[in-house]
Amino acid sequence: MRDCENIRESIGSWLDGELSAAESESVRSHLASCTDCGEAQRRLERMHLALKAALTSQAPQIEFTSFWRGVERRINEKRTWYEDLLDGSRRLFTAPRVAWMVPAVIGLLLVLISMDFVPFRGSRNSFASVESIDAYGRSVALLRQPETRTTVIWLYQDQEGENETAEDPAKSAPTF
Amino acid sequence: MRLLKTLRNRLRLFSLILVLVAGWVGAAEKNPQSVQVRIRTILAGSKSDEFDPKLKDMERQLKPLKYRSYRSLKDDTQSVPWQGTGSFDIPGGRSLTVAPQEFQNNRVSLKVRLTEGAKPELDTTVGIQNKGNFILGGPPHEGGTLVLSISATAQ
Repeated sequence: MRDCENIRESIGSWLDGELSAAESESVRSHLASCTDCGEAQRRLERMHLALKAALTSQAPQIEFTSFWRGVERRINEKRTWYEDLLDGSRRLFTAPRVAWMVPAVIGLLLVLISMDFVPFRGSRNSFASVESIDAYGRSVALLRQPETRTTVIWLYQDQEGENETAEDPAKSAPTF
Repeated sequence: MRLLKTLRNRLRLFSLILVLVAGWVGAAEKNPQSVQVRIRTILAGSKSDEFDPKLKDMERQLKPLKYRSYRSLKDDTQSVPWQGTGSFDIPGGRSLTVAPQEFQNNRVSLKVRLTEGAKPELDTTVGIQNKGNFILGGPPHEGGTLVLSISATAQ
């Protein structure tokens, strides 16, 4: 079933001679043995023939002179830089390239994140969080330096012999 | 037709690569084997204006402490397994033990105990950014004050 689906997708390319020798052989042998796919091939061939007949009968009546004049004019005209840029970006974002680029960019981002290069992952110097603290009766001040985002735990002896946790570290810890 | 088939095959290949890369990234994030703990012991004082060049990278963290001199006394690094304990000798007969607790959201939680001889001076549990540090200071030593920089890097 899966084979038939793949082969039917390839019939058009096979008829147009776009497949490699091995692929052509694979399609040809499948078509020889599969009735449904053979029918699909015949339908496509009939459509090709009908199109070819229509084109052959109508082509001599088509006025190509103005068309070729337009082609010649476009070949000879000087292109501006932004037209080149536009064409370049169009080529860059064609489907096959995007198919490669999108996953490649995602992969690159994942690698950068894993290597800690990405700024949004958090600053290395963000404040430490103190979950618990016991200074065994000594006074302790907890300070945060906003400039360097450093957390400082400061142990000190109360000058007046008081035994309390500092509410105002700058006042209670004389060295700050 | 052929183009669509090619695109589909390429997308399949890349999906597979992405799954593998994401798995690798996830594994690196969730399963650090140990923590590299670095303890830098600094003697801060006000008798001179000496600033030890070894502490250049910490200058911005130390200057707000408002001492005049800073001298590096020790710089120890140990690789400590999760739930294990690393012990560091601190000048003045003190000892610092560091026990990594958990690693979550790129932060390392450390249980830290400072003792002077057998007498405990401080018990604390601190969560720091991976590769970050915090400062523990205050104990007097040789006419100055000890300042410890405790940093951790999950490995």
